[in-house]
Amino acid sequence: MQSSADGLTGAGSLVESAPAVDIRGITERFGPVTACDGVDLTLRRGRIHGILGENGAGKSTLMKMLIGLVLPDEGSICIDGVPQQIHSPLAAASLGIGMVHQHFSLVDALTVWENVALGEAGRLNPASIRNRIGEIADHYGLIIDPDARVGNLTAGLRQRVEIIKCLRRDPSILIFDEPTSVLTPEESVQLFSSLRQVVTEEGRAVVLVSHKLDEVLHATDDISIMRQGKVVDRLLAGDTDAPTLARGMVGRDVSLRSESAALGVLVIDEDGAKALDSNASPDAVPAVSSPPILTIDRATLRGPGGTPVLDDFSLELHPGEIVGVAGVEGNGQRELGDLLSSLVSLNSGSVAIEGTRVPDGRSGAMAKAGIGVIPEDRHDSGIVLDMTLAENLILVDQSRVSTGGVINQVELDDFAREMISQFGIHCSGPDAPMWSLSGGNQQRVVLARELAQHPKVLVAAQPTRGLDVGAIEYMGDRLKSAAADGVAVLLISSELEEILDLSHRIVVMHAGRIVGGMDRANVSLESLGLMMGGVAQ
Amino acid sequence: MTEGASSQRGARLGEWLFLYGLSILAALVLSALLVESTGGAWRSVVSALIDGSLRKPARWGETLGTAAPILLVAVGTIVSGRAGLINIGQEGQLLVGAAFATYFGFLIGGPGPFNVVVILFFGVVGGALWAGVAALLKFWRNVPEVLSTLLLVTVGGQLVAYGLSQSWLLLAPLADRGNRNQVSSQLADDNRLPRPEIFGNEISFAVILAVVAAVLVSILLSRTVWGFRLRMLGRNPRAAQRSGVAQTRYGATALMLSGGFAGLAGAAMLAGGGFAFGNYQLVPGFATNIGWTGLLVALVAREKALVAIPVAFIFACLRTGSSFVGATGVEGRITDVIQGFLVLALLVPPAVMFLRDRRRSRAAATDRA
Repeated sequence: MQSSADGLTGAGSLVESAPAVDIRGITERFGPVTACDGVDLTLRRGRIHGILGENGAGKSTLMKMLIGLVLPDEGSICIDGVPQQIHSPLAAASLGIGMVHQHFSLVDALTVWENVALGEAGRLNPASIRNRIGEIADHYGLIIDPDARVGNLTAGLRQRVEIIKCLRRDPSILIFDEPTSVLTPEESVQLFSSLRQVVTEEGRAVVLVSHKLDEVLHATDDISIMRQGKVVDRLLAGDTDAPTLARGMVGRDVSLRSESAALGVLVIDEDGAKALDSNASPDAVPAVSSPPILTIDRATLRGPGGTPVLDDFSLELHPGEIVGVAGVEGNGQRELGDLLSSLVSLNSGSVAIEGTRVPDGRSGAMAKAGIGVIPEDRHDSGIVLDMTLAENLILVDQSRVSTGGVINQVELDDFAREMISQFGIHCSGPDAPMWSLSGGNQQRVVLARELAQHPKVLVAAQPTRGLDVGAIEYMGDRLKSAAADGVAVLLISSELEEILDLSHRIVVMHAGRIVGGMDRANVSLESLGLMMGGVAQ
Repeated sequence: MTEGASSQRGARLGEWLFLYGLSILAALVLSALLVESTGGAWRSVVSALIDGSLRKPARWGETLGTAAPILLVAVGTIVSGRAGLINIGQEGQLLVGAAFATYFGFLIGGPGPFNVVVILFFGVVGGALWAGVAALLKFWRNVPEVLSTLLLVTVGGQLVAYGLSQSWLLLAPLADRGNRNQVSSQLADDNRLPRPEIFGNEISFAVILAVVAAVLVSILLSRTVWGFRLRMLGRNPRAAQRSGVAQTRYGATALMLSGGFAGLAGAAMLAGGGFAFGNYQLVPGFATNIGWTGLLVALVAREKALVAIPVAFIFACLRTGSSFVGATGVEGRITDVIQGFLVLALLVPPAVMFLRDRRRSRAAATDRA
């Protein structure tokens, strides 16, 4: 492929040659919404280009056009100076464009080499594929056992498989979509150093799509900031700083701490203590001497294959504290949330509220015992999209608006109006279908419902995923005030910044168990990182 | 905002009327072409349809009597549909219900009006038990109810046929059946549902029963906590599980209620009589597609019990009307095709609207993403 030829020439001359990708005036509309609005973007070989923006800024749509998943309504794409119509991912692949998606597309039951071979035409040649994997592994330091079963790999290694899958086709243009969301801090560092190698030694063009300022600032050369479908700023990574990027991304100055945490600027350098000034840690740490309100005792839950997804998991929660459960995604966090939502039955172990055992897996038992849940995926168990907003507010408890088993529509509407104003839900009224609300407002409905139950324990699983900055800040404030009112808050999040921002106490989950914990006051990012990688402290 | 909502509703109603008008027109045009091309006269066919369903003496009473069990089946289907369960075995549940009604009706044989209640009650029990088999398989062994209910139709048919061959079960004593095989005894006069006469039409009491059932179920589903929870289960089982709506309990109840209504329809057909449903006795093929028709009605009514009332009436008109079409010289098979066209015409608009709504909500979802 010509990319390798280009790669041999010096970086200086590359700037003169045609850019690897030249996007001009790209516009894409979905119904009334303009996802991309006259976007220009230039990617050059030998450089890493960061695309920064909030959720919904149009980053993903832009990348989907590059790999042929979406056709632009207007505008042109030139690859190496030649105008191209990219109709399909296959066309993109033939142009040397490859993408590592945020969500993996691997088959768990197959081995690494089998996954890499998936989608190949013609006869399989296992030996040559294994060889190729070995070459790539040696070359980029992406060490992996080609015969390992993907289902047994950690998230970091799975991503490695995705990257090898992509590199095997020798793409000259590589797109990474939010690559660090499933990685420990160490794994992220490793990823970026192999990226750097790909770029400098082989003259490939790399795009890093992210909503994390810190990552973009440190790992890229050029930065484009997107906001509401437009590129609002173009910067050189060397000439800018986090506040400038944050301003560009949000469109105004960012002052609040939870906002900064949401944008990922809280943890700027490895020497974490710097960012954690005295007013950073949540004030009024509650007395842990009070008896625990939630006790999870040696909970074990086996997955379909018999491997434990919760493994002897024990945790105590006290009134008024926020405990952050940190960890790389897929280490049992989802199952922990499901357990506290009565969605799974344990193989062994127990859950108790104020010393009284709550039968696990019995429909409604956890909610009745006083455990409120903001689920990881609200569409899964948090809301019913086909019901109205008002109805979604009474999913758990209909007694407040009913007498003798009959729902009083007037009382329901009144209750809904009260919640709408109290939680600032933007909607057309109590009768608005739930699906017509934006993600942030749906999340507010969940929050309103769960808090209206006056829970003893509030589980917030990835509570700000997919929300914009304003909604993130609101969620953080609500969680803090719930804790201040004596609710024990269990914050399960894969965003370390969010955990550091809100928690009084942090525990780290790995492979279904808690591998360690520490108080917020004496946090060590290094040991947190190690624990997230499974090294018990 | 309210104005916007009401004008939106008006626009939706307009869309519905337009779609129905268009699809029924298309069905009529196709039917006319078919009739004319096979040597018939479409005018006389239409006239016969109306004669048979409404115009001729005693016919609209007959049509109402036919609509009653169809409506009962549809109402039951709506209950299970709300819980997200797809019951398509009403034909079998109806037959088993009728068999239970027959067996216990003769077994208990109490005084007149009391035994009518017994007959209806055991109709419900029979249908509910037959659907209960599917519920058991689903919640105990994860067998999809859409398969089990359907397959149980055949099993039920065979079992009832066996019952009709055994005099200790359903078969009438020799004296009552003459030289006929596989028939039950006739219900005694005082064991039948009353058929008051209005304007020269005999109206089966089952009609009142069915309409009351539809209204009650409509209220139950839309106004009560139980209906709310059933709907939650249907729309998001995991949210329901977390909120204390156990799928086993609520789902099994809904499925058995659904079967119960089908069984009630069977008992009402047995005790209601009329030209359409024979002679107050159980015979092979007793269900005569009423179960399937009720299922269609529930589909067309889009899970709204009150809407099912007029829809059931329309389907009954097609059924009673088409029995007159044969007299016009048009072949019976052609009549069947015409009936099929009209049923399709009623089913197409809901499908179109469903697809369109889904596309809209998808588009809305992508907009938000």
